[in-house]
Amino acid sequence: MDRLVPVTDLPALTTGIGWRHPHYGQLLEEQPELDFLEVHSENFFAQGGAALSVLQQARANYPISLHGVGLALGSVAGVDPWHLDQLAALVERIEPVRVSDHASFARGAWNGMTVHAADLLPIAFHRHSLDVLCANVQQVQERLKRRLLIENLSAYVQFSSSDLSETGFLAELAGRTGCGLLVDVNNIYVNALNERIAGATDDPVTTCMNWLDQIPPHAVSELHLAGHQDCGDIVIDDHGSRVCDQVWQIYGHALARFGSVPDGLATLIEWDTDIPVLQVLLGEAARARALQLPAGEKAMA
Amino acid sequence: MNPDSLSEQRALLQAVLGAGDAAALSAYLPKEDTVRQRLSLRGLQAYRANGHALAERALAATYPVLAELMGQENFSALARHFWTEHPPLCGDMACWGDALAEFVDAAPQLADEPYLPDVARLECLMHLVASAADVETDLPSFALLVSGDPMPVALVLGAGVALLSSSYPVASIVNAHLLGQPTLQQAGQLLQEGCAEHALVWRQGFRPCMRSCTAAELQLLQGLIAGEPLLDALEALSLSEGGDAPAFDFNIWLGEAVQAGLVCAARQVPTTKAKG
Repeated sequence: MDRLVPVTDLPALTTGIGWRHPHYGQLLEEQPELDFLEVHSENFFAQGGAALSVLQQARANYPISLHGVGLALGSVAGVDPWHLDQLAALVERIEPVRVSDHASFARGAWNGMTVHAADLLPIAFHRHSLDVLCANVQQVQERLKRRLLIENLSAYVQFSSSDLSETGFLAELAGRTGCGLLVDVNNIYVNALNERIAGATDDPVTTCMNWLDQIPPHAVSELHLAGHQDCGDIVIDDHGSRVCDQVWQIYGHALARFGSVPDGLATLIEWDTDIPVLQVLLGEAARARALQLPAGEKAMA
Repeated sequence: MNPDSLSEQRALLQAVLGAGDAAALSAYLPKEDTVRQRLSLRGLQAYRANGHALAERALAATYPVLAELMGQENFSALARHFWTEHPPLCGDMACWGDALAEFVDAAPQLADEPYLPDVARLECLMHLVASAADVETDLPSFALLVSGDPMPVALVLGAGVALLSSSYPVASIVNAHLLGQPTLQQAGQLLQEGCAEHALVWRQGFRPCMRSCTAAELQLLQGLIAGEPLLDALEALSLSEGGDAPAFDFNIWLGEAVQAGLVCAARQVPTTKAKG
């Protein structure tokens, strides 16, 4: 690459969108005003070809956030060395503004082989799983020589062995490894809605705000916003619709709590299924920016 | 008992990937809270459904012609079955599915369509070529071919060049579905006639391309892919030529191959063969 947009000197509060295949051409052509683009790292592991080329073109105009869905950092089976090699090569090539993945597992033994479930499977919140996650996060950070951000999940299976709160688990993860936290606001709302189905809360919004209040602000570097689907007997984080009003409300609370962190706070609009026209995503990004104004003023004070 | 992530993860992974029941997983779910347990089992269904949908999407993207030949319903069932038998080995879904041809080959219900495995093999090659490492074209390097330098010269092939020899008109079948050339009727006629084809896969710029090739072109490219010096590959070709097939004209072939992005450069290579 000849020239890259510098990833330093970004404003304290930045906003970007998930850049997916249907918008590759239009975004490169129109270059809308966005602080960064987010892509799924695994979609660009190829050694060459069109996808990698368009990412390099985008990188000439935007900082890129590499968001992984496949490191499977919570796996007792460990991090796949091949996967880490591909990610390290991509990081070197793209010089991303952030690198992130999830507090989930996917790798494990199956019929005598180590397989990958290609999903963000939940981990239990206890000491053993925390030790596993910390060791894997450390390994990746040491290899990439940079801080990793770890995202909270929407989890549809809960283990009875969990004896730590999710927030306590994540806070200790950040404290022990120095990683940052990527708080997916929609994910905590989806979990709270499923808690309501389980009869554990009758006020999901307050549950989410309490969740946010237990996260150490200095650890948080990014927020995710997305839509979800209510199937009646379960709520699924499908990234297939607009951000709902309740999630915007919780986002406002998150901005108030995390919006003045010294290293800045990024907000991402995610949309991965039934992807609408680009203008809809840009509209959601504009709405996030409008909510950031009061937090930005506080950060400047 | 200390919590054991290994057992918990194994139980969930088996339940998500396996087609069987969730009995092993139940031991790790909240026992007293039946509502929460029911919700977790509903969640397990969601993970399974997501895996199946992902499998169908991924395989349909790689094998669009196979999907069309089998029909949507049959192909979806095949994708779900393949998912449970051959789950991904890594976290990049683009790498998953290369064993589908062998899976189709071994499926007794598809034995009446014996060309399907080769269609899958060819589509897999076309999928792989799309992400192969880029190769830069270096036109001045072709001067090596006429330099008279005693150092042997090899040709640098384009990104991901690959070959498939089939007992079926597999290049025609795939191109009939993807490009409409030949027509489906013509491809069907070739199949009925028991026509065999060699298929050549390469990339022009970023665009995957595929066409049938002659036995002579196949042999030459096999040599070049193996890294043989050009003169050795041509010598082997001349020794095997004969019969009714038209003579292979290398000069015409090279011009077309460079234009199509099949050959990108020439390079000097160390001598590999002792000359007698």
